[in-house]
Amino acid sequence: MKRTLEYVWIILVILTIFAYLLGYLKLISTSLVGILLISTFIKGQLVIDYFMGLKTVQLKYRLIPTIWLGIVISLIAVAYYLPVAATH
Amino acid sequence: MSKSITVKEKYPPGDFAIWIIIYVELVTFALLFLGYAFSRRSHIEMFNDSQLLLNQTSGFINTLILITSSYFVVKAVKSVTSMTKESIKESNLRASKWLLYAIMCGIAFLVIKLSEFIHIFGQGITLSTNKFFMFYLLLTVFHFMHVLLGSIILFNIYKKTKIHGYMPDDYKGFETGASYWHMVDLLWIVLFPLVYIIR
Repeated sequence: MKRTLEYVWIILVILTIFAYLLGYLKLISTSLVGILLISTFIKGQLVIDYFMGLKTVQLKYRLIPTIWLGIVISLIAVAYYLPVAATH
Repeated sequence: MSKSITVKEKYPPGDFAIWIIIYVELVTFALLFLGYAFSRRSHIEMFNDSQLLLNQTSGFINTLILITSSYFVVKAVKSVTSMTKESIKESNLRASKWLLYAIMCGIAFLVIKLSEFIHIFGQGITLSTNKFFMFYLLLTVFHFMHVLLGSIILFNIYKKTKIHGYMPDDYKGFETGASYWHMVDLLWIVLFPLVYIIR
């Protein structure tokens, strides 16, 4: 448990490299956008829990940024995946 | 079978007022993120073409910088929250070291972002060029100002640690500044894939 912060930092770095490589190698595709958004949620939640220190605080204070993150990521996914209506 | 029971803190770290500010900032940025995402739907080609003008590598480096600076800030916070009456000087000095690293990261972020802005403005791009750049500039300039303010806050905390100003029962101001910095990091974590990667 002593090295938790270091592990969190390493996971954040790995997920950031993953996101960058998707963009840099032009691998980004419709299905990978979903995975990228999930990895963004994981990164955000790690920051909320371990860097902001909300994991050890009453649940309601942790839930506010978590719900914010969930709604933002979900709506970005909706905006990306919802079929665009044909224009006349 | 042993079961460890963790007692939850009643309030989040730092001054409660900062959490109100953080929640308001999160909502403000959420509106901009969603404005970007939904505007993109009607101009997908234009957004994809405009995105090609951005430097993904500098966005990537800036993400690593902010994540690392947040890690340094947590280490600084741990230094003061674990302080005893016997280790005031030592803990403040240790915190100041971590903070100095975090501030240097903040400055590096600002320099890289400034060079990106100079490049963008040098191409004659402004807020009115198109919707992509309107959102790009609104989001990144707004975020840039938050990093600038966060760096100034961290510098002030750093100055106080240098005079051993934090005590075992008085470090709320430290945690307040740290919480603000983590919010800046959290916002960038969403901004980077949204604006630089997704297409």
